Amino acid sequence: MVQDIVAGAFCCVGTFFFLVGTTGLIRMPDVFSRLHPSTKCDTLGACSLIVGMAVYSGWSWELLKLIIIACFVLLSSATCGHAIGRSALRGDIKCWRRKNGVEDGHGT
Amino acid sequence: MGGGYAFSRRLLLCIILFAFWIALTATLALYDLVLGAVCSAFVAVLTVALLGRALDPRITPMVLLRLPWFLLRLIWEIIKANYDVAKIILHPRLPIDPEIVEYRTYLPGDLPRTVFSDSITLTPGTVTVELEEDLLKIHCLCPYHQEGLAGLERMVAWLFGVKRHG
Repeated sequence: MVQDIVAGAFCCVGTFFFLVGTTGLIRMPDVFSRLHPSTKCDTLGACSLIVGMAVYSGWSWELLKLIIIACFVLLSSATCGHAIGRSALRGDIKCWRRKNGVEDGHGT
Repeated sequence: MGGGYAFSRRLLLCIILFAFWIALTATLALYDLVLGAVCSAFVAVLTVALLGRALDPRITPMVLLRLPWFLLRLIWEIIKANYDVAKIILHPRLPIDPEIVEYRTYLPGDLPRTVFSDSITLTPGTVTVELEEDLLKIHCLCPYHQEGLAGLERMVAWLFGVKRHG
């Protein structure tokens, strides 16, 4: 019972961060700032879901596998974010600045 | 590849592979353990034979022992980061002032630098967009997000047992 509630709570937190990450993806002004919600909130979202599943599965071998999955999620998310940012930088996309105001940062 | 050099490296690789095997097979039955040990030993020997080296020389038992503590601290940073970034995203006015800053790291070698830049990407409002030698270009969502960089660098230095000189 308590286990179910804790597991459910972690899954709710994970879903919330996925929601926030997606919102950020839509709201942010340029490629670089879009990387932030997608690499961060989605990482914690996925990790919270995994923790929720770990609590739900209890003290078993699944726990180890879930930890390994979490490690791979963290690694691949960081690497992907870096790869996208790097190609954007090399593709001469300008970084959106607050001062420029209207500039939309699409490399114009 | 001298016979003496690689034995301890081979053994370390073998132990890591064996631990991974146990995690994946999820049993402690004798048959699986023996099979896993044989397979990991075989893969370790083959890796050294093919690549000439077993692991990055910076991966030592000490680094592996420190890794869980490092990961815990990193996860704590990630949680703080997420709370912060989520607050910014949900803020009606979207209070961001992004800029790309350059940061020179004193960490030597590819592996520590890679770990450092990955950790930066995972923590508050900072994404490493370029890494060349010791120069990192980091996209910060808000100017105050740069403040965490030095602490993160110290964490990675501790993980690899790097002393700062100069």
